[in-house]
Amino acid sequence: MFTLYENEISREERLCALWLCSVPWIGSATVYRLLAEYGSCTAIYHETESRREVLPAKTYHTLLTQKEKVRPEALEEQMERTGMRFLLPGDPDYPERLLNIPDPTFGLFLLGNLPPADRPSVAVIGARGCSAYGTEVAKELGSALGAAGISVISGMAVGVDGLAQMAAVDAGGYSCAVLGSGADVCYPRSNRRLYEALRERGGILSTYGPGTPAVAGHFPPRNRIVSGLCDFLVVVEARQQSGTLITVDMALEQGREIYAVPGRITDRLSDGCNGLLGQGAQVYLSPEILIRELLEYTEGRIDDEKSRRRKSFSGRESANPYPKGTDLHVIFSALDFTPQTPEELAQRLEKSGTPLPTETIRLSLMSLLLEGTATQVSQNTFRKS
Amino acid sequence: MYSSIQTSALLGVEALPVRVEVDISSGLPSFTMVGSLCQEVRESKDRIQAAMKNCGLDLPASRITVNLSPADIHKDGTAYDLPILIGILSCLSFFPTERTEGTLFLGELGLGGEVKSVRGVLPIVRKARDLGIHTCIVPRANEREAAVVPGIRIRSADHIRQVLEYLQTGEEEALPVAAPVSVQEACEESSVPDFSEVCGQENAKRAAMISAAGFHSLLLTGPPGAGKSMIAKRIPGILPPLTLEESLEVTSVHSVAGLLPPGVPLIRKRTFQAPHHSLSLPALIGGGVSPRPGAISLAHRSVLFLDELPEFQKNTLDSLRQPLEDHLIHIARARYNITYPADFLLICAMNPCPCGYYPDRNKCRCSETQIRHYLGRVSGPILDRIDLCVELKGVDLKDMRKPAEGLSSAEMRAAVEKARAMQRERYAGTQVRFNSDLSPKEIERFCALSPQEHAYLESVYDKIGLSARSYHRVLRVARTIADLEGSASIERNHLLEAIYYRPDLSYWKG
Repeated sequence: MFTLYENEISREERLCALWLCSVPWIGSATVYRLLAEYGSCTAIYHETESRREVLPAKTYHTLLTQKEKVRPEALEEQMERTGMRFLLPGDPDYPERLLNIPDPTFGLFLLGNLPPADRPSVAVIGARGCSAYGTEVAKELGSALGAAGISVISGMAVGVDGLAQMAAVDAGGYSCAVLGSGADVCYPRSNRRLYEALRERGGILSTYGPGTPAVAGHFPPRNRIVSGLCDFLVVVEARQQSGTLITVDMALEQGREIYAVPGRITDRLSDGCNGLLGQGAQVYLSPEILIRELLEYTEGRIDDEKSRRRKSFSGRESANPYPKGTDLHVIFSALDFTPQTPEELAQRLEKSGTPLPTETIRLSLMSLLLEGTATQVSQNTFRKS
Repeated sequence: MYSSIQTSALLGVEALPVRVEVDISSGLPSFTMVGSLCQEVRESKDRIQAAMKNCGLDLPASRITVNLSPADIHKDGTAYDLPILIGILSCLSFFPTERTEGTLFLGELGLGGEVKSVRGVLPIVRKARDLGIHTCIVPRANEREAAVVPGIRIRSADHIRQVLEYLQTGEEEALPVAAPVSVQEACEESSVPDFSEVCGQENAKRAAMISAAGFHSLLLTGPPGAGKSMIAKRIPGILPPLTLEESLEVTSVHSVAGLLPPGVPLIRKRTFQAPHHSLSLPALIGGGVSPRPGAISLAHRSVLFLDELPEFQKNTLDSLRQPLEDHLIHIARARYNITYPADFLLICAMNPCPCGYYPDRNKCRCSETQIRHYLGRVSGPILDRIDLCVELKGVDLKDMRKPAEGLSSAEMRAAVEKARAMQRERYAGTQVRFNSDLSPKEIERFCALSPQEHAYLESVYDKIGLSARSYHRVLRVARTIADLEGSASIERNHLLEAIYYRPDLSYWKG
């Protein structure tokens, strides 16, 4: 347990801490080192010059430049305008999950609300350029978690992150984004709608001061917070050597349970996930199973039925709504969740002994699409809804 | 001394009669040319003087004034050299004046007196015939092009001596009348590649057929090497052959542009214009200092193929909107205001993302932003005017080895002609030529659905996010599909297929 501030934090100390956390390229580790030398943020701010000898030259110059450029009061005013809050590890609101990880983050900037402490939370992360399959799984999981009142934590990136969070918010749930920029900077800009929704109904966290732009080096520390905030971490799609796997390493270090969504061995976007499964990650089979296991985990129950339930899992088979013997029945049963073209379906049907002309398949697919039992992924590819 | 010779100017693809008036009077020696002349026409003076000297003709030291009447019409091109020379010689009484009556002269001169080819001979000769001119004297190189026009005598020369001999002696043999070129004779060897060479891609071939039958613009998307250009190149081959009237229109445009291939009197097959994406706005729609038809006019009655659509400049593409609707292009500039025909079939091709392999995520690593940015380069208004969209899949080697078993161009053309015949019959007495021309009001009249089909389409309207515009587009395309099947009414299957080929804008908006 981290015990830096045991008593109530003074206004002066808070202001100086806020200032210190906004200094570019001064991370949590440096802050702790400085605190060990100076004793408090107030001392760091006021005695920078007088105790110059204890600081490395680079840090000294960074602090001095920042002191000339930014006043702590100006920062506070800037935050008040956007309604941003600043949290320190001694604050009662400071998320307890983050206190329990190695090297907890020193200061946190927050827009909106923190994840409810009494509810379990799941981090959903994955590739930015995800496939149709990844999109589907991320949306379905986000939506189910949102509806079940489970917080969804992620990085608001394009692809899996943003899709899962948007689905959770749309389902009326809570979601929290941890950004690699200032909390008042919407990055990526294409996720504006999600950003606004999270500001109102969810939360946006950052370790960077207001107005900080997104820079590549900012993302690994943010990933540590994503994994720190969750109970379970679900990896939807990741390539080998993907940045997503860095988050997984951090989650392991923090003792979180890892779930990976299995994929086809021929899909490069599933290599990361399949690799994790090989290393002993839990297999993600459906939102229902994940939620049940999560609740059991957080309530401290160890269920012997877990393996039995997994064994009886029969995959996602939706009932064929069409009468047997019709073309629609045949085509519906040939569809799956991987996008296929009419030509590919024709080949598949020919192999299974029920050949149909491509024209018929094309028209039947349109019928399925219009009835909502199939989805058009791109102009010429279809999958089951 | 005064003389007047008949020649012609070009205004767009229209010919306009022009008279060359020459006056030679005593006074200080000078050579003045007037009548809104462009640079190359003014230079004509020097060519004439040199040509005369080199042919042993003396230009008298007098005051020579040449006027091209009507004087307020801008004149460009080099076709005035010969008529001006004839006018001067006529003034000097080299030959009896009545020999030039009812005769139109065209030709550029070389310094040795050669008569060289000029642009726009076909429309000029046609206009001359309509005006009652009985003889045209044209450069030898343009003889066959001019001889296509019946009802007018064409004489051609490759040196001014031949023209002078004819005018002086009046002997037929000096400048014999060219044999008329019959339309059959004008047929070129057809070299359009055949659709039977396309392996697989039946859905794209089907879309090409629908496109040709109803003159619907088509967008082909797919990874590199899927055969997008291959399919586009074969579309001219499944369009019905040009009628004589269409053929004359197409040849006129090419003649005016100076792009008529040598030895081809009449363009009889549909052309295929595939401009590179770096082309400028005037190169696409026409214009320039001295106006020339652009790619859209050269593709008149034929195929305009824009490959790599997102690579075109946005304003260049947007300029296609008006010609796509009006089938012609008005170009208004300070010095001229002309109209070129531009009734073309638009075929576009593009990759679905910068690398070309989206949605195959095993190959494509483009980010969503990159993809959206790439697709965003094609503006909505252009997509709105595209009736059919088809996505091609990459071709496997094993598909390529299979013997081609799909439709051949001949079979496809037969189907297209049948559908065209149905459209001709249905739209007889209206302005409409093809299903793609139908306005929303005409759609109500000609694309009526049975009550249950109507209810069905209404029910899917919201489900797949059809806009009012795409709703009409689906009906137009469904009408063409019904025509291809020879069906008088639009059935469920026709609607479904039309919906299948609709350009899905959600795909563009990501």
